[in-house]
Amino acid sequence: MPRNKHPKKDIEDVLQYAELQGWVIEVGGSHAWGRIYCPYNNKSCRCGEFCIASIWSTPKNPANHARQIKRVVDNCTALKNANFED
Amino acid sequence: MKLYEFTLKFTLPDTNQDAANYIAALAQAGCDDALIGIGQPGRIALQFSREADTAFTAITSAIKDVKTAIPQAKLTEATPDLVGLSDIADLLGFSRQNMRKLMLNHTQSFPAPLHSGSSSIWHLAKVLNWFSQQQNKTIAPEIAEVAQVTMQVNIARALSELQPGSQQEFMHIQEELAQYR
Repeated sequence: MPRNKHPKKDIEDVLQYAELQGWVIEVGGSHAWGRIYCPYNNKSCRCGEFCIASIWSTPKNPANHARQIKRVVDNCTALKNANFED
Repeated sequence: MKLYEFTLKFTLPDTNQDAANYIAALAQAGCDDALIGIGQPGRIALQFSREADTAFTAITSAIKDVKTAIPQAKLTEATPDLVGLSDIADLLGFSRQNMRKLMLNHTQSFPAPLHSGSSSIWHLAKVLNWFSQQQNKTIAPEIAEVAQVTMQVNIARALSELQPGSQQEFMHIQEELAQYR
């Protein structure tokens, strides 16, 4: 079953981008829309805190929130290294 | 109003407690302009995109908001401040190799690192200063402003970690260093 879409288009777009990079999206949980999980969240990963990030359903500014999510996905060191080896 | 982007990292009072428990309180305290990272047990990181008149207002109000939501949270780091060569290259859009070359070609004027070793680190504020003054590179004023304040925050935090009773020695060291400036 496909997951629920995020109500804000900017954020839904970047969530789909994260999914393409292998991130897992979990909808639900208390007080937030959901969470995103880094596919490389293991001991060798250096990103730390943002390997799991909480996504707001109604952030103060959806476009800014979308950019924050994109930055976390693009900054993932494991992903960078994986691309580098290609 | 300008948009300031920075990240604050905190340790949580109870390492066993799930950081998710704090999400509601953080929203209520006005942190819904931050992406909250909960990937490390006992820690929480907030990537803010905050509108304010100055970086100082943005960062100090953000710290206050987090402390309101989680009174026992301890600030461990404000970023971007301490950066390595790759971080600088990423921030300014150079390759790491080019950044390294640039630094080696300007060993006299390039800021001395805070720590030099197998990997060196600098205060970003000093590096940005060097780029704008010595290389005529345009630096977004918001980033330069944020880097100044995050440096102040991290130094203030480090000062607060001095052993109680060592303040007098510390002030003596400060005086000594000031003489040779």
